[in-house]
Amino acid sequence: MQRAVSSLALSPSVKVKLASAGFQFTADLRHLKPLQLSKEAGLSQQEALEVLQAARSEGAGHREGALTALELLQQEEEMRSIITFSSQLDAALGGGLPVGKTTEICGAPGVGKTQLCLQLAVDVQVPPCFGGVGGQVIYIDTEGSFLVQRVVDLATAVIRHCSLLVEDNDQRDAMTSFTVETILSNIFLVRCHDYVELLAELHLLQYFLLDHPKACLLVVDSVAFPFRHFDDLLQRTRLLHSVAQQLITMATRHSIAVALTNQMTTRLRGGQSQLVPALGESWGHTPTIRLLLHWAGPRRLAAIFKSPGHMDTTIQYQITSDGFRDADESEQPQSKRPRTHNDQSAGSQREAGC
Amino acid sequence: MNWDQVELNPRIIAAVRRAKLKSVREVLCISDPDLQRLTGLSHSDVKQLLIVASTACRRHPPTPVILLHHRGESSLRLSVGCPVLDQLLRGGLPVGGVTELSGESGVGKTQLALQLCLSVQYPTEYGGLNSGAVYICTEDSFPVRRLQQLIQEQSTVRSDAPQDLISNLQFSDHVYIEHAADLDSLQVCLSQRVPLLLARGLVRLLVVDSVAALFRSEFQASDWLQRNKQLLTFCSALHHLSREFNTPVLCINQVTDVFSGSDDSLGPHSSNVSPALGLVWANQVMVRLMMRRLQGMIFHGDQSSAPRRLEVVFAPHLAQDGRDAGIWREGVQGVSS
Repeated sequence: MQRAVSSLALSPSVKVKLASAGFQFTADLRHLKPLQLSKEAGLSQQEALEVLQAARSEGAGHREGALTALELLQQEEEMRSIITFSSQLDAALGGGLPVGKTTEICGAPGVGKTQLCLQLAVDVQVPPCFGGVGGQVIYIDTEGSFLVQRVVDLATAVIRHCSLLVEDNDQRDAMTSFTVETILSNIFLVRCHDYVELLAELHLLQYFLLDHPKACLLVVDSVAFPFRHFDDLLQRTRLLHSVAQQLITMATRHSIAVALTNQMTTRLRGGQSQLVPALGESWGHTPTIRLLLHWAGPRRLAAIFKSPGHMDTTIQYQITSDGFRDADESEQPQSKRPRTHNDQSAGSQREAGC
Repeated sequence: MNWDQVELNPRIIAAVRRAKLKSVREVLCISDPDLQRLTGLSHSDVKQLLIVASTACRRHPPTPVILLHHRGESSLRLSVGCPVLDQLLRGGLPVGGVTELSGESGVGKTQLALQLCLSVQYPTEYGGLNSGAVYICTEDSFPVRRLQQLIQEQSTVRSDAPQDLISNLQFSDHVYIEHAADLDSLQVCLSQRVPLLLARGLVRLLVVDSVAALFRSEFQASDWLQRNKQLLTFCSALHHLSREFNTPVLCINQVTDVFSGSDDSLGPHSSNVSPALGLVWANQVMVRLMMRRLQGMIFHGDQSSAPRRLEVVFAPHLAQDGRDAGIWREGVQGVSS
């Protein structure tokens, strides 16, 4: 495939020089040596070397990057979802929070956004023999609402749940290393105090992910908080776009699930006030899936209101001392059942069917 | 941070200087292609620059939570000075983070705040933080007589602490009182005097009584945009102080009436009032507590009081629950049911 030189990640002055020397496509550069190129295009040797490296790596990336839809589907089916411990929400999401995609959780204060995030941070570590992912978590806390005490509560409940399900030796072995201590040591916490620190962390995260291949989940709780008081809205939109781009890149390149939380804000429309997710309209394009947690009287509801692969559904949930759960467990005996391979594939079939 | 302090190729630093980028933080707010254009550096140089700038801005690399757990920082709580209410709050106020206490006037919000100003002065083994408190009044003058009364009663109410410890604590010397009658003076107070007190270790509790008074009085209904902006600036100052000095912040808030039939998208109301200042403020609060007055009368020795109920509306680590309490000469004390 022909790729224009101007689309490479090079500095503008270099691109101008290349174009004026007549290099239009990466194919034109293929057989050149750095010295030749530097003479022909009037670049320094250092620049010429970088141009050639960029052209080669792009070429390689292209061959690798081109996948058929079938291959993509197979890849996606290999990726396991992270269960939420609410069987209704799992069913609605087709097995849980999808790995390799970004999911946004919006909601009013106190509805349970942080609870769901903490729950996911524990759930992602459920050993594979129990139908979990067995991965590590990076938790970026911008609001200061990450309290270890609560994570210990949730971890204890998940361990109790899993220990009741032990059937074979595999699972018994897995349980010996699945303790509150290991759960806590697999959650990597970053506290960001403002948006610059968040941007810095996201820059460095790709290197952290390379060092920690077991990481399967990135939580940002919340994206909105550091971006809420901004005088320059244009600047804010630009920075949010770069955050969005980085999150999506990380989700796909490193195959991790990204969970973001967002606050709600009031919008006046036609004299009526309405609760909408914050950060503006354009931010709404960033996440693949948007979950809206909201109240309906005393009940807590979760609604999927943006997703390419799921129907718009609303389910009821509750926050118990054990964590994020189905609304009424007595009516949902399935939630006690372990999630196995079959459940997962059934989930993805449903997803594919929609 | 200055460019002299970072470890970078002098050629890159020179290019950054030429582009008039003064701080590391500024660099992070500019996109990759823009940086290439501004500085004239190559892609790989800019990448290196961004990594160095990011590392300089980062406070800590990702830390396994188990380390925080072992250090015990996260389990530190500021006791309310009453075992029943402490049980509701799982030990007391979290250190770090904004806690809101709202309720109708006369329900006992200030009483609880005063009590915290005393309990913060105890050593950590008795639920305190071994430091003083700063109390910012925006509504009323500080109830200094009541504080004296509470201090005198400390020896009877805190039976868990040794008597000689209580008699040695100079309670009233460690409560710093600020009056802020308008937003400007509040701003000065939060940006200059309070950080000084916190930095010297003289105080480790910040009470604002109340947030609603200033924001409700200074703005007309049509100025809501301006109000929200000011409110967010105020909140970010509180968050900054709370994080920088690892200090609990207690904000007392008024309530507004909820009309029946109005939307309940912000959660179920246990009574016909909800905390003032709306969603903008609610988004900034970590722990939301509410106090209500109940019907009837409860008795304690020779004293009688109308029963109150302290409720947790939301908190990342607490269940929605409540405890009944009474207000006595010695302070707010929960009634064990």
